[in-house]
Amino acid sequence: MTVGRIPNVEGGIQPTLLTTTGDIIYASSASNPARLGIGSSAQVLTVASGVPSWATPASGGMTLISTTTLSGATTTLSSIPQTYNSLFLVISGVTANTSDNRIRCLPNNVSNLTNTTGVDGGTIQSADNSPIRLSERVTTRTSALNAFGLYLHNYTSTTSYKPLYFSGFYVQTAGGDIATNIAGAFRSNTAITSLVFDYGGTNTFAGGTVLLYGVK
Amino acid sequence: MAKLTRPMVRIHNVETDEIIDREMNDAEFAQYEANKAAQATAQAEAEAKATAKAALLTRLGITAEEAQLLLGGN
Repeated sequence: MTVGRIPNVEGGIQPTLLTTTGDIIYASSASNPARLGIGSSAQVLTVASGVPSWATPASGGMTLISTTTLSGATTTLSSIPQTYNSLFLVISGVTANTSDNRIRCLPNNVSNLTNTTGVDGGTIQSADNSPIRLSERVTTRTSALNAFGLYLHNYTSTTSYKPLYFSGFYVQTAGGDIATNIAGAFRSNTAITSLVFDYGGTNTFAGGTVLLYGVK
Repeated sequence: MAKLTRPMVRIHNVETDEIIDREMNDAEFAQYEANKAAQATAQAEAEAKATAKAALLTRLGITAEEAQLLLGGN
């Protein structure tokens, strides 16, 4: 008998079944031991077809797609990749050259298919058949003290509407700092491939930044 | 005579990171003009509403804050 080996008797498992550091023994069927070779780094143990196996976990988290400086009467983010589950945007420091107005976002440059409701400056606000009005109230054009986080879910769908919500802060013309928290949907079955930003339609941007993230 | 320029627009292709700044094309400029007209109308309506509200408050002899209180707002 070789030292270190289990006698070849009923119920024993031969150590020679294992060949590599990290190997695992499992039952490929009742009373039938089998070797599962070590997986690759960062792989996790999972079950497929009733037996254990190593698999690469689904990736998650956010990827910064682009950073855009707002300019002109409109700024368009075009050719948005269709490979994520959701989009998350951070819009901040938005200023305009001409007049006070609203900071807006138009998915696919459509201005009449977004319905929203929520609380804006302590008041319930609703908007139907509109663009996404990040600042619900007329906004001080020279104040860069604004920032919004906008989520767009299911944006690649060609069969259903796109839920959205955003929260943020801005300074309104009438005076007062406004915190806002709004939810709704872009009522279109068309995938969102572009986002257009403007400052009320007749203004030109003096500044502002849009960070676009893709979310898995 | 100097050429009249249209407003500029920016287009950022986020896939290629190419940024184009150009004047509005005909369709964009038509939409811009329509927005301008709609905005002027909305502004006139807002101003008329504010004037009517101020006149009503004067007639009632109360302030806007007092009116808000009566309506149960915050």
